[in-house]
Amino acid sequence: MVERYWNIVVALAPFLWKGFLETLIVSLVGVVAGSLLGFLIGVIRSQRVAGLTGLLGAYIHCLRGTPFLVQLYLFYFVLPNTGISWLSWDSRTAAFVALSIYTSSYVAEIVASAIDAVPVGQSEAATAVGMTRLQRLWHVVLPQALKLTVAPMSGVYVMIIKSTAILSVVGISELTRQGEIAILRYPRDILFIYGVIAAIYFLYCYPVLRFARWMEKRVGSARPTELD
Amino acid sequence: MSWILDFYNYKIVAQYLDRFATGMAATLTAAGISLVLSVLLGILIALVMLSKKAWLRRPVAAYVAFIRATPLLVQIYLVYYGLPALLPFAKSWSDMAFGVAALTLNSAPYMGEIIRAGIESVPRGQFEAAKGLGMTYPQRLRYVVLPQAFAITLPPLLGQTAVLIKDTSLLSIITVFEFTSAGILLNSERVRPNESFLTIALGYLAIYLVVLLLTNKARAALAGPAWNAGGR
Repeated sequence: MVERYWNIVVALAPFLWKGFLETLIVSLVGVVAGSLLGFLIGVIRSQRVAGLTGLLGAYIHCLRGTPFLVQLYLFYFVLPNTGISWLSWDSRTAAFVALSIYTSSYVAEIVASAIDAVPVGQSEAATAVGMTRLQRLWHVVLPQALKLTVAPMSGVYVMIIKSTAILSVVGISELTRQGEIAILRYPRDILFIYGVIAAIYFLYCYPVLRFARWMEKRVGSARPTELD
Repeated sequence: MSWILDFYNYKIVAQYLDRFATGMAATLTAAGISLVLSVLLGILIALVMLSKKAWLRRPVAAYVAFIRATPLLVQIYLVYYGLPALLPFAKSWSDMAFGVAALTLNSAPYMGEIIRAGIESVPRGQFEAAKGLGMTYPQRLRYVVLPQAFAITLPPLLGQTAVLIKDTSLLSIITVFEFTSAGILLNSERVRPNESFLTIALGYLAIYLVVLLLTNKARAALAGPAWNAGGR
């Protein structure tokens, strides 16, 4: 019994490793691109520029209000269908873009609420010593705000890793997809194979979750009220 | 007007309206049942996590960690293929029942965490005073702690409900005919991605906006009590 399962694991190891690497790459691209975009949106949103605030709020709500699966279908089926040539991308690009944009909505909320959590006296004092708006932001507010984003950002990272499993439905050969292929070879061991897949995700995500909790205790966090 | 029909032919959507309605009903049913079950299970998880008995807390903490650190899609597959093997009576269940079971098991730890934070936010003195009045443990929970915890818990609980409603879209992958499946059906029969997927995106957005409105209403209505004033 044990030997049988061991043989399955040995036979599948190269494929699962390949799948894990793809999950790793996709999640890293998602977190880096999504964080950059989300950071920009969050900073702009915190500045309360007339007109932009509402627009960016609508962007965030549209991404928050629809399932990632549906967003993925929009990027995979609808955008290439618009006839605009640079939007007719392959499934991998569609997956990268969908994941990054989805991530950006969460990051934007975290960054905006971290900036709001910095006491307003800091900004006022910076004004009093003659700093411009950008100087206040760059030298006074952001350094204090960024510390507060570390814990919730780790939470977002875990959420992205878990969301990459959904990419299997458009044929990205990440971990879950590799599991589905493995089941074609070992149809009697569906449960065991999904158990192994779950264990691999757990090993990837759990340390990040522990880090998030540790950071939260150490430096505190500005948790946006709406974040799941 | 023809450019609208080229981009989004609402006449096709109208033909599929009954399918979208059926799907929406299934989505709301799945979310509703999972919501009730996962809040109940969440209360249990919260009480266990707050208890001092390690033999009780450890296994539940392991379950919570597993749910938080693995994708919902994989959990759905585990329940869908694993539950019939584990529980013989589950063999006759419908796909919908497996979906609801998976969503409940996934959602309960998040609900539990929200409820635990709510219970912990009630000042310790309240609990001790109730004890001093001679109330039993269930009485203290029922009349003193839970009503106060409820005020703090309701807004984030509604937020988690919005997440739960979105998560039901994954049930389309285990062939439950819910709202997303209706869009997929339209696309596979007519090959009209815009009409299929923009429609379901708008449908989910509509539900989300209703939940968001309720969340804001709840937050405003519950902002009054004094126990909310200190914390935030």
